[in-house]
Amino acid sequence: MKVFNLILRLVVGGVFVVAGAMKVWNPGSFANDVANYRLLPDALVNLVAITLPAIEVLAGGLLMAGLWKKPSALLITGLMAIFLAGIIQAVIRHLDIRCGCFGTFEARHVDLIALAQDWILFCAAAWLAFWYKD
Amino acid sequence: MRTFLLALLIAGAGAVLGLAVNTVSPRRLPVIAPPKAAPQPTDFIPLTDAWQLWQAGAAIFLDARTPADYKAGHISGAFNLPAEDFNAHYSEIATLLAPATVIVTYCDGLECDLSHHLTDRLRELGYRNVRILQNGWTAWRQAGLTTVTGVKP
Repeated sequence: MKVFNLILRLVVGGVFVVAGAMKVWNPGSFANDVANYRLLPDALVNLVAITLPAIEVLAGGLLMAGLWKKPSALLITGLMAIFLAGIIQAVIRHLDIRCGCFGTFEARHVDLIALAQDWILFCAAAWLAFWYKD
Repeated sequence: MRTFLLALLIAGAGAVLGLAVNTVSPRRLPVIAPPKAAPQPTDFIPLTDAWQLWQAGAAIFLDARTPADYKAGHISGAFNLPAEDFNAHYSEIATLLAPATVIVTYCDGLECDLSHHLTDRLRELGYRNVRILQNGWTAWRQAGLTTVTGVKP
């Protein structure tokens, strides 16, 4: 069980570090992706595009390092819930937009596969945040 | 409760970190985006005008969608300049364009703004006659005008 939890932490944290780092690389393009979800007023898009990737890297890094495991897992769970909501509304509204999940390095569009991946990550993070015991 | 507060603290620290990185990044963004000018009616070209330009060979048509969408089908003679990957593709297309070239951009669907982004970029680069064929791919197809599939124009 200990090994399972460790692997889960490294995978969830690692995905967040990588996803965040890739977005930092090209903030303008990520801002575009954020805007395409049509959830935020234009004035707030850049603020999110600037802060979100760094929050992802920090939370993912802490989770991997095993520092503040519960809080970082909780934060990641909350972020995943927001991402899930964003993807679900995009699918419902038939927005044909780039996922932006991993920044510009992937051209993947929002679809049911992206939804499934996010759902798995959400469950894994929620497990770490709420049920995981040292 | 403590966990929740610490999670907020991490989020706050991450936000500060992100803002700090942004101030030194060569690709920094303005924190508050300046409001965009609303598109003017003159930014758009009606389908009939676009078709006339196409028949006369008087305009360059640029497909703003992804290479995959372009390959699956595009307006005959249109070149692919994906708005999401502008810098990587612009140099190939630039040789075809002069500042006064009449350019028609399009993507697909009334909600699609790739053609808007592409038009903005081209205008920033000094092209004066860029107009958007709204809902271009669908409108063109539904009117029964000529299309091709594949990676070539």
